Amino acid sequence: MKSNVAALSAVTRPSVKVVLVEDKPGVRESWVKLINSLPGFTCVQTCVSGEDALRVIPSLNPDVVLMDIFLPRMSGIECTARLKLQMPKIQILMLTAVEDDELVFMALQAGADGYLLKRTKPDDLKAAMLDVLGGGAPMTSEIARRVVESFRRATKQALPDVRLSAREEEVLILLSKGYSNKEIASQLEIGTETVGSHLKHIYEKMHVRSRAEAVARYMTGKA
Amino acid sequence: MSLAFLFLPLPKTQAAGPATNTPADWMLEATNHLGRWIWDTNSFDKQTVRFWRAFEIPAGAKISRANLRLTVDNGYTLFLDGAQIGRGSDWRTVSEYDLTQLLDPGHHVLEVEAFNDRLEGGLIVGMEIEMPGRPVIQIVSDTDWKIVPDKGKGRWVWPKKEAPDWRHAVVVGVLQTPPWIDWPRGLAIVPPLQPVIVHFWQRGWFQLSLLTVCLLALLFSLWLATQLASQAKAQKVLQVERIRIARDIHDDLGAQLTQLLLLGEVAQREQPEDSPARGQFTQICDRARELAQAMDEVVWAVNARRDTIRDFTSYVCKYAQLYLSATSIRCRLDVEPEIPATAFDLSVRRNLFLAVKEALNNAAKHSQADELFLRIFRRDHKLCVAVEDNGRGFDSAQTGGDRNGLTNMAQRMAEIDGTCDVSSQPGGGCLVVFTVPLPHERRRWFRRKTEATTDAPPVDFSQTGL
Repeated sequence: MKSNVAALSAVTRPSVKVVLVEDKPGVRESWVKLINSLPGFTCVQTCVSGEDALRVIPSLNPDVVLMDIFLPRMSGIECTARLKLQMPKIQILMLTAVEDDELVFMALQAGADGYLLKRTKPDDLKAAMLDVLGGGAPMTSEIARRVVESFRRATKQALPDVRLSAREEEVLILLSKGYSNKEIASQLEIGTETVGSHLKHIYEKMHVRSRAEAVARYMTGKA
Repeated sequence: MSLAFLFLPLPKTQAAGPATNTPADWMLEATNHLGRWIWDTNSFDKQTVRFWRAFEIPAGAKISRANLRLTVDNGYTLFLDGAQIGRGSDWRTVSEYDLTQLLDPGHHVLEVEAFNDRLEGGLIVGMEIEMPGRPVIQIVSDTDWKIVPDKGKGRWVWPKKEAPDWRHAVVVGVLQTPPWIDWPRGLAIVPPLQPVIVHFWQRGWFQLSLLTVCLLALLFSLWLATQLASQAKAQKVLQVERIRIARDIHDDLGAQLTQLLLLGEVAQREQPEDSPARGQFTQICDRARELAQAMDEVVWAVNARRDTIRDFTSYVCKYAQLYLSATSIRCRLDVEPEIPATAFDLSVRRNLFLAVKEALNNAAKHSQADELFLRIFRRDHKLCVAVEDNGRGFDSAQTGGDRNGLTNMAQRMAEIDGTCDVSSQPGGGCLVVFTVPLPHERRRWFRRKTEATTDAPPVDFSQTGL
């Protein structure tokens, strides 16, 4: 019923194609209904596992993938790493029940574009999806702090050539201190979109840097 | 005994008299220093005679030189105060012992175990002890020497005291008289004798007690080790239990709560925009979110995987941001970079968290601030958490008991050996600093080990799935 409405609206303006990867049937159904209830979003496919997702998603070429972190067998993080290798442009948002910085950070390194708590309000879910589609990269101050630390460590070890620019580090440090994107923009006298693109670049650098590592960690052992 | 003499023993009366011979120079000197030949009443072959002579060195005397010359026909063993200091078997030369370093003021006993192989036996000895400013003590072989009777067989010990039944030695000859008319001649000088210093650690009692102490220490450490092991085991069990409880809450309650929340959201959306049921569903969802938030807090507090300062820091920061996002106060974070994953006990982090929560609550309710700084850093092996707002402040000297929150915070900090300092001035904002001692470095490696074992469970998390 709802999906029909969503399909109808897709005729007028292109609907955002969403794929949901979630193993629990009850949760999955609720999510599908929620996504379809958001105007302009359609859940085109659900996957019950990471393996399923890897099989289905490349041919569907969706706009956004909502990925549960905890999946049986292949974890959401591993699935994300593999998907990003195949489709670097795909936007992946992780879904977690609790905020576990360690896991979230791992997911972001694996190539995820953001994460959401499962108890996030549907309006915030919509905002987050629009944000990543619009080239933004949501990042909490906690994650920003970890990113700064991880890059500093990597610099110490003189690892790859991907380093943060001075401006990017500035943005991250302000973010880690609790400043909002808007406040950062005014502090650095740049546009809010520029802050967003800086964050996007930081994410990309993080992916590039961790890719080799991620490939080694997620692929070699299991492939 | 003698090779060349087969004389009869001289009559004793004659032996008691002074020597009448004309000796060589050294002989003359020797005569002056040695006594007469003495022996037991009877003389027979293969005879052992034990001579005993006590002497006194006056207290306070300093010995400048002490010499002892002796020889025994046929051989001897010389003892001073029960310790053997020399032996000889060449009766034709006199041995000279330098006892300067062995003697000190007090009672001493000189003993000679003399052996006669054949025919006559004899001992001749002379000792001189020179002390500056005092008369020379001269001890020579004479009838003052006693014969120690040999009582039975077995291990023979030199007696320290004289017994009344001991015989006096008898003089059997004078130097240069038969059968020792030409002998002894020549002097063999024994290198000066050094006192054998037996240090206390070389003594048996010491070594025995040392061994005992070592054994006891070993037993004690073994006992301690077992205690530690069982304690570590208990600790591990506790940690595993805590992780299990955290996981159970997380997996069972959390998953169902999420489902409930999602169902509520869906149901809410299926109601018409303006129906009262929709409002009620919204309320249900809001409550469920709060519940989920509260549950997260419990899981965080219980989960042993979260027992580190780093985790505490990120949790408090997140909490402060979330909590203040609902107020008009902007939350600023100032966190020391690279906070280590040092172990942090459950009670400490829980109390510290609750105290910080209280401080945030106070700021939100009373301060009217528009900016709040949460600072977390280490100083002097302590963890400091500072909550600083730019609000209206209060007179910290006059708050008294009306601010229950302040007493609560102080109490919580006292429970974990921490401190809570509140400083504020009217119009000048408020600064609350919590300080807790960090666990010792020494415990860290131990903890890290247990941490490593508790780090395994993430797999379980992912397998149960949410």
